[in-house]
Amino acid sequence: MKLLVVEDEPSLLDSIIQFFKREHFLCEGAVTYSEAIRKMEDFQYDCIILDINLPEGSGLQLLKYLRNDEKRDGVIIISARDSLDDRIAGLDLGADDYLTKPFHLSELNARVKALIRRKYSDGARVVTIGNLKIDMTARTITAAGQPVPLTRIEYDLLVFLTSNKNRVVSRQAIAEHIYDGPSEQAPGPEFVYSHIKNLKRKLKERGCQEIIHSVYGLGYKLVI
Amino acid sequence: MSKTLQQKNTRSLLKWLPLVMLVGSVGFYILLRSHIYHLQEQQLELKQENTWNTLKSAPGGIALHIKCEYDIEKGSPVPRGLVGRQRDTSIYYPSAGDWDTYAILTEQYKLGDTPYQITTYFSSKEITHLLIKLSVAEAAIFLLLLGAIVIINRRTSRNLWTPFYDTMEAVRNFDIRKNRPLVLSEQTGVDEFDRLNLTLSSLIDHVNQAYHNQKQFTENASHELQTPLAIIRSKVELLMDSPSLTEEVAGQLGDINDANERLSQMNKNLFLLTKIDNNQFPELHMIPVSDLLERSIAQYREYFEDELPVIKLCIEAPLQLQANSSLIDILINNLLRNAIIHNVEGGYIHILLTDKELSMENSGPVLEGDPERLFERFRKGREESRTTGLGLALVKQICHLYQFDVQYLHQEGIHRIKVVFA
Repeated sequence: MKLLVVEDEPSLLDSIIQFFKREHFLCEGAVTYSEAIRKMEDFQYDCIILDINLPEGSGLQLLKYLRNDEKRDGVIIISARDSLDDRIAGLDLGADDYLTKPFHLSELNARVKALIRRKYSDGARVVTIGNLKIDMTARTITAAGQPVPLTRIEYDLLVFLTSNKNRVVSRQAIAEHIYDGPSEQAPGPEFVYSHIKNLKRKLKERGCQEIIHSVYGLGYKLVI
Repeated sequence: MSKTLQQKNTRSLLKWLPLVMLVGSVGFYILLRSHIYHLQEQQLELKQENTWNTLKSAPGGIALHIKCEYDIEKGSPVPRGLVGRQRDTSIYYPSAGDWDTYAILTEQYKLGDTPYQITTYFSSKEITHLLIKLSVAEAAIFLLLLGAIVIINRRTSRNLWTPFYDTMEAVRNFDIRKNRPLVLSEQTGVDEFDRLNLTLSSLIDHVNQAYHNQKQFTENASHELQTPLAIIRSKVELLMDSPSLTEEVAGQLGDINDANERLSQMNKNLFLLTKIDNNQFPELHMIPVSDLLERSIAQYREYFEDELPVIKLCIEAPLQLQANSSLIDILINNLLRNAIIHNVEGGYIHILLTDKELSMENSGPVLEGDPERLFERFRKGREESRTTGLGLALVKQICHLYQFDVQYLHQEGIHRIKVVFA
């Protein structure tokens, strides 16, 4: 998978690229408007992560340019602006998703994976982890053929950890991901623990191996 | 107690004018009296002269007494002391059955060797009547004047001060949060008020500018903070994932992460406060408050499951509000979260919604200090590390925007917040 990250803040760009390299993406970065245009012209990307505020021009202009050029690359906007208008403007111009700074890399990762799943997989979108099968369309889980009844939160939790498999995901990232309201109102990360506990219990009852591990109280990791 | 300008003005007029008028009336009366006395004296002397001349020219051919005109007597029957001085007397008129008052004057004469005393009469009844009538008329005119002066004065001062009252009203209605200039007339027709308005307008302009700058600063600051926060967050996440992570480093990393998360939560809330301040939530909808409450509670139940205090919701009336739905959502969520976080083990939350107010009562630790201060920004309860200290400030800000009244009552571990929708 090929990924282009357009972000004018070098250390953030560096973090994102480093993160996605570990996910085995082919990653390229651009810090300026013109550099981004050049790269978009020359290559085809599966996903472009686009910062709106660029020194020479707006990320929205880049998006417009890209869509006028009939390029269908998936685009996720990352912006420090969190108003509904900005969000709508971005999505109207053909962005696939919109993420507000500061975001969790694990969240960005989950969004990129979801975007790629939506764009490039046809038919049933099923993810398999060991003897677990996650049907993303029907939002159901089966363990060794047996359905596992999960709550909405437990399901989201499992999918989120799966998207970030073999990585440590912080409790805050999980909390913010699961909360489906505006992020300023997200309840603290304290509630994550009991849902993880329940999820682990349910998976264990269905004979799954212990795949979810706690990491020094920082967060959780789904290991395959 | 302070009086209005008009009251003060009228009061001082009513205090001093009657006094001046009383002195004027007394003076007028005295003057009139002395003029009348003088007139009587002249008339009496004229009669004396005429009578004496007639007596002199024909001593036998003149009647010695004409009632109420003159008396001519030989010798000196009137005591010396009374001669030459005007006196008063009353004479009985049998025909009218009445006493009339007269001014009389007695003078002594000598015709040859015979002494005569002539007494002349002048009716003072009519003159007295005239004096009374004039005095009454004068009093009436003075009263009329008093009334007219007071009324004219009140009316003039009302007109005169109108620009001042207009200015006062405009200043009273001025709300710095709306950041609108204060428009005051600079052509009131009164120089002092023109200058007052000019001074006030420029003062308000400066205040507005300062407030605007401060708001702009907060907005920019919270905006600019997003990127460094994002950088710290991403680096922490990368470090968490490092294969060489030890438990000791993980602990420190966890602390960095918690602090950073709190910082970014605070920043979001500050930004939200600024947005409410800037009136950036203009869209209004009819909001079913009871539905929002139920949804919020259901959401918290979903997240916290059995770790929540017992929540009892009582809806007396399904209240609808005309407001911005995001803001009411924030209001309800923050109230609810406040009641959950500042609760005790095995505690409760009672929520009551009526057609006028929403009240939320919860058990919690005993509060120290003034409950009203909890609504200040960065004012925190005991669970310091878990909160941003901005939740109730947000509640207050939203209530202020929609002119809801919000009260916090605390009594021995029972906390109650009441929002009265005006």
